[in-house]
Amino acid sequence: MWELIKANQRKSQILFVMMGLCLITLGYLIGSAYFGAAEGGLIGILLATILWLALSLVSYFAGSSIILSVSNAKEVTPEVHSQLFNVVEEMKIAAGLSKMPKVYIINAEAPNAFATGNSPENCAIAVTAGLLAKLNRDELQGVVAHEVSHITNRDIRFVTFAGVMIGAIVLISDLFLRGFFYSGGSSKRYNNKSSGGGQAQLIIFVFAILFAILAPILARLLYFAISRKREYLADASATRLTRYPEGLASALEKISQSSEELPTANKVTAPMYIINPLKRKGMKISDLTSTHPPISERIRILRSMAGNYNYQDYQKAYSNVKRTTAKIIPDSELAKVITHVPVASAITRSTPISAKAHQRNLGDIMMAVNNYSFIKCDCGLKMKIPPGFAKKEVICPKCGKMNHVISS
Amino acid sequence: MAFIIILLIIAVIVFYLISIYNSLIRLRNQVKNAWSQIDVQLKRRHDLIPNLIETVKGYMHHERETLESITNARSHAISAKTVTEKAGAESVLSEALGKFNLVVENYPDLKANQNFLALQEELTSTENRISFSRQSYNDQVLFYNNKIEMFPSNIIAGMFNFIKEVFFELENKTEREVPKVRF
Amino acid sequence: MKCPVCKEPMIVLELNQVEIDYCHQCEGIWLDSGELDLLLEGSKDKENVIASLSKKANINEKKIKCPLCRKKMDKIKTDYIETIILDKCVKGEGLWFNKNELHKVLLAGNLNTNNPVFQQLKSIFEYKFKKN
Repeated sequence: MWELIKANQRKSQILFVMMGLCLITLGYLIGSAYFGAAEGGLIGILLATILWLALSLVSYFAGSSIILSVSNAKEVTPEVHSQLFNVVEEMKIAAGLSKMPKVYIINAEAPNAFATGNSPENCAIAVTAGLLAKLNRDELQGVVAHEVSHITNRDIRFVTFAGVMIGAIVLISDLFLRGFFYSGGSSKRYNNKSSGGGQAQLIIFVFAILFAILAPILARLLYFAISRKREYLADASATRLTRYPEGLASALEKISQSSEELPTANKVTAPMYIINPLKRKGMKISDLTSTHPPISERIRILRSMAGNYNYQDYQKAYSNVKRTTAKIIPDSELAKVITHVPVASAITRSTPISAKAHQRNLGDIMMAVNNYSFIKCDCGLKMKIPPGFAKKEVICPKCGKMNHVISS
Repeated sequence: MAFIIILLIIAVIVFYLISIYNSLIRLRNQVKNAWSQIDVQLKRRHDLIPNLIETVKGYMHHERETLESITNARSHAISAKTVTEKAGAESVLSEALGKFNLVVENYPDLKANQNFLALQEELTSTENRISFSRQSYNDQVLFYNNKIEMFPSNIIAGMFNFIKEVFFELENKTEREVPKVRF
Repeated sequence: MKCPVCKEPMIVLELNQVEIDYCHQCEGIWLDSGELDLLLEGSKDKENVIASLSKKANINEKKIKCPLCRKKMDKIKTDYIETIILDKCVKGEGLWFNKNELHKVLLAGNLNTNNPVFQQLKSIFEYKFKKN
């Protein structure tokens, strides 16, 4: 595990520095475009650096809570969904985490999940209500294992930092470009200055505009190149944790078949999810700008592992499916083989659930997240009581029985 | 002068031996720690079974034998002391529960009972936790046993009576089925 | 969801995997269009029932706001009894029955309420009807 983590950390650092350079160059160009090359460039660098530091601090101390609240995720207790908690605890044991991750549910129909936090001791896993309603136990275990792998592979901090950094670059470029176009160019500025500097100033201006357009794209490309590989890696680690690649494969299949869009996801948080929550409409964007590897490929790799679960099996399947000799897992990790075969005997319920039952299941999870309490009357009527309900008892309108309200 | 050198050499050797001793102790503690993780889950399983029996009794009139075999296996498992004994007893219990899970399929009413479903979920999770904590226990035992066998730590281990620990092996018949490869 | 009449939080009643929202205070009922679809799924009465619940009434009753979209709801006439006026969301989110309205529809024995919608409501409020 350690070589894998180290390699990831090294890449994170490189990315961090490159994005920082991107930001500082942007600051320099914009500063000198507006206030002249000498002192203006310095001011620009200074402001960009301050912004970068401030954002990094915020993302370190509050990044995950910001992301969770932006995504509308709510922390839940085991009573809300005991199976989810059980599965997280199982994966915590399998991965050897010292602390149980916090568990969040997002009240949305689109099935999806992500992990966030800044260390394995301080992290959270969020899944949507739609995911819980749609997946069976083995599939849920696969998804949770994938998220726990992001935690143990130290991907979560990287994603948060990179998200904030891209956010900063996009913000500065956007402000500059908007300011430029709204003020109708910069002719006024030149007239105040000496005419000699005008020529050089103009060139710098053109550079600044070009870079402001390119920087956000560049930052994203850098980021995507790394984040896609991490998705494969997390899949590999997940199968090693559950010893059951089919669970994750079938979960990915189900998730990819759903057509709902996740309303609370945005461009910055999208790369964190297990599959891209923003469905593409209309034209296809090139694979370069995709944060996630093609899901059909991920499924094919998992399925061609044929039930084996070691890193070398994943690497082999990866090479076969992608027809490449590229290594995605370091050699020292490949050599580590789990020989003991503990078997997780999930009782799979093969009976497909009806659309009605699925709808109810989903609704009940969402209500449980919102602290509804549930009463099942002996006559078969189910009563779902909202948290603000004032009375202590309700009469069943079907059979007349007095039922006590257990306030949550 | 020679005396001081000899003294120094002895001191270095003593420190070396102490460090070996300490690492043996550390490994043994890790084994103990990993074992307690399993023990917690085994206890959890034992605690769930009376509840389970109580819930299903009303439904399964024709399965007295199956239920009795679970109860018996449970009490054997509770009274087991050593790791080997426990492994044996828990295997029997696992097998009895596996049979029970097959029988449940014949009782649709039971499968619709919320109480039972909740218990079944807890039991499944416990089985999984046992499996996963078993892995880390066995890994620790492997490290520790290797250390005891290898030179020079084997000398210290022999002197201070460090004994090899036993792997916790369960036979489990309820394998998740491996799907056929589809392209 | 809050009751559109008395603003109290409504409880949800589920029977045969179909839900309705019910105000414990004023005993009004909200029938969500999604739930209506679930009830009428595969029923031969589907068109009839929907048609019977979509004639606008020109009446000066106080308008209430839809609990979902907050817009003022339309008043509609039912085919069952001309004098019963229900409230229907203009965006089609659902239907609102006051306490007496449902009773009148169901208790007027000579009417054809033998469709899944009213069967469901009848079954959920079995005790309440017997009492009245």
